[in-house]
Amino acid sequence: MAINKHHAIDPDKCTACTICITACPVTAATRKFRGPKMTGPALTRLRKLVSDDDPMLDYCSNCKTCDLVCPSGVPISTLNMLAKNEYYKTHPRKSPADDMLAHSEKMGKLITSIPLASTFANLGMTIGKSVGMLGAMGISSNAKMPSYASESFISKFKKIKQTSYQRKVVFFSGCFINYNQPEVGVDMVKVYQKNKIEVAIDENFVCCGSPMVAGGYIDDARVNAAKNAKLLKAWVDKGYDIITACTSCGLMLKQEYQELFDFEGMSEYAEHMYDSVEYLAKLHDEGEFNTEFANDSTEYIYHAPCHLKVQAIGRPSMELLPLVPGIKIQEADAGCCGISGSYGFKADKNPIAMKVGAKLFGKIKDSHAELGVCECGTCRLQMENGSGVPAIHPLTVLRKAYGL
Amino acid sequence: MKKSDILIIGNGISGLFAACVAADKGKKVQILSYGAGTLTIGGGIIDVLGYTDEGTPVADPMQAIAAMDAKHPYAKVGADTAKKALDTFLKITEEEGFPYIGSANENIWLPTAIGNFKPSCLVPRTMNGKALIAAKNILVIGFDTMKDFYADMATKNIAKRLPDKNVEQLIVELKFEYERDLRDISAMDVARWLETEAGYRSFVDQVKSHVKPDTAIVLPPVLGLDPNYKILDTLEKELDCALVEVSSLPPAVTGTRLTKMMTAYAKKRGVQIIEKARVVGSEIIDGKCQAVITEGFDRQRKFYADQFILATGGVYGGGLVAKIGAMTEPVFNIDIDVPKVQTEWSHKDLFGDKKQIFAQFGVNVNSELTPLAADGKEVASNVKVVGRSLAGYDFCVEKSGNGVALITAYKAAAAFCGEA
Repeated sequence: MAINKHHAIDPDKCTACTICITACPVTAATRKFRGPKMTGPALTRLRKLVSDDDPMLDYCSNCKTCDLVCPSGVPISTLNMLAKNEYYKTHPRKSPADDMLAHSEKMGKLITSIPLASTFANLGMTIGKSVGMLGAMGISSNAKMPSYASESFISKFKKIKQTSYQRKVVFFSGCFINYNQPEVGVDMVKVYQKNKIEVAIDENFVCCGSPMVAGGYIDDARVNAAKNAKLLKAWVDKGYDIITACTSCGLMLKQEYQELFDFEGMSEYAEHMYDSVEYLAKLHDEGEFNTEFANDSTEYIYHAPCHLKVQAIGRPSMELLPLVPGIKIQEADAGCCGISGSYGFKADKNPIAMKVGAKLFGKIKDSHAELGVCECGTCRLQMENGSGVPAIHPLTVLRKAYGL
Repeated sequence: MKKSDILIIGNGISGLFAACVAADKGKKVQILSYGAGTLTIGGGIIDVLGYTDEGTPVADPMQAIAAMDAKHPYAKVGADTAKKALDTFLKITEEEGFPYIGSANENIWLPTAIGNFKPSCLVPRTMNGKALIAAKNILVIGFDTMKDFYADMATKNIAKRLPDKNVEQLIVELKFEYERDLRDISAMDVARWLETEAGYRSFVDQVKSHVKPDTAIVLPPVLGLDPNYKILDTLEKELDCALVEVSSLPPAVTGTRLTKMMTAYAKKRGVQIIEKARVVGSEIIDGKCQAVITEGFDRQRKFYADQFILATGGVYGGGLVAKIGAMTEPVFNIDIDVPKVQTEWSHKDLFGDKKQIFAQFGVNVNSELTPLAADGKEVASNVKVVGRSLAGYDFCVEKSGNGVALITAYKAAAAFCGEA
């Protein structure tokens, strides 16, 4: 496997200190997972000698908490993903849902391209749930499946009239915003326009590949990475910064591509990549963030997605949202929500996902907040499913505060 | 990034404590962390000074600190500040609802996992070694399938060390599933089990009949994952005896509790922690540090501050980088003076009772904890170095782990806040 030289993956950097085991949320929830240290660096060394057939690999959710706490910079979760992908080359998949969950873009494309298909798909999901069809496919009946929007973000975007500004960014919306919650993308454009930024999109972008890697379809992810990397580099060459509003897309394009693949231009465009709120926080530091907010007396609770934490950008939402007058916002600080992209939707993983998220759900309920706030789309679903409290993207809070 | 008053590099015990102290004094504090601090896998206890250089046990650590060799970090701090530091730590533990016991002026002997005893100073109430000395009967409890605690060995050694006690052992059955496709059972798993109603009941039912009057129980660290005494208190009441955890091998329950407590306190006081921020260098102009530079998968970032505290730890924590015949501190690019010949780094007898040479390698500082370059000049006047990055001590032999961290961190933070 081609590994980017700059971020060479070296299991021998692991000193076996076990900090990752103390922090891993899946390890805490089930003994079916051997733990990050063992399945990651420790067994990777053995895999160099003998082919490994450890079914426990399937339990790593790729939440990256292990990478976050590792003092030696070992990309533990990525070692797990590489091994998992090798494993599925020679072993049958556990669940028929793997393929569908890993290729969410295929489904989204299909559904949003046919008139009224989303209505039927969403209805089908409800019916499928009630007659147990989803269960037969390996999807948990307990998880809250994302519903499909009647119109994709790209379609909506084309109808938005923007003012042209010198500061220009290209927005990588990702599948979830494009097919499931396009209103988050629309909020992004509105908020950026308020800050004198012109937003472009690129219809040739494809799924970042994050669910493919986690689902064991790394070859498909490599094809997508090749396409995206080339396009992203071209945008940067034109003077655009790259924005993502899904923290998993952001992490994949910026970091995991560099860990897993070896395409040209990845580190160059990564220099210009920003999370959507991080970019605004940077404007704020430079004194250029628009703070003409209306009052918002809503009580919010913010959950930092694992894939944001590991990006070394702190908590940009907790820097900006408190600037809204009247706002009451606290950080949940309760660890992983459990969903980890597609992990918690799988029937055999859902009980683990719910156990992992239990602390967060309790925190949300006890806070008596009216709304949850989180950058990650599937985290938001999990927060709603576990706590009953609706959750929105921080950009939506800002859009409302601008009176839009 | 906005400029902070004090920027701390490292979130081990010294970084977190310095942050708590400075934030309490009204400073805007930011921590840059790369990975969780190694205190997470430590014993969660505060050793201050267990043995003199001659190997004699220390009764009063403060008295011993006052007579310290000039090279030792304690000599640069002094006993008065040391006591203030430890008292401040005790106050934090109290406010967080996890009060530690002990005093700066007295050492406590704690049982270890193999049934020996080691001196420490401030410890959580779950590790009150004095209860063991006071009891007539000692009941060592192990768990049938838990790894890394051998009740047999602990029982034999404790009986040898405390010949006037009646020492017995009991193996509690966990009745966990145990097969090839399930992970080995660690102290953390048992702690999780004890936090469940069923686990708690099963433990009490199996132990209760074995507790004679005037008994202290010794067991691995399993009394709860979080920094509180809920499980200890209910068990002591229900079993009518003292329970004493031994420090044991990582993954460490006791270290995790200490990490959680310190982090919670710091965050409540507005300390901002930027995770996964790998500091690769610094910008020094006219002898003052302006910013430190982080680097990740995207780009370099500068973090500005008026003052900086380096709390990145030793070789193990990544704060010092050792190569053949050389050692450096990478953030301020300080060369550490080490023998060119590798065999001169250590005494032949690795686990002897002499301080190891390599263990004492670290950054040289002046009496203000300001780092000094190889030529003896200040690296930057607004930088202080704390904890394991410092030269001049071997925490392992003298038993000063976490004590040096807390005491130097306090001195640095207090000095930056205008206190002498």
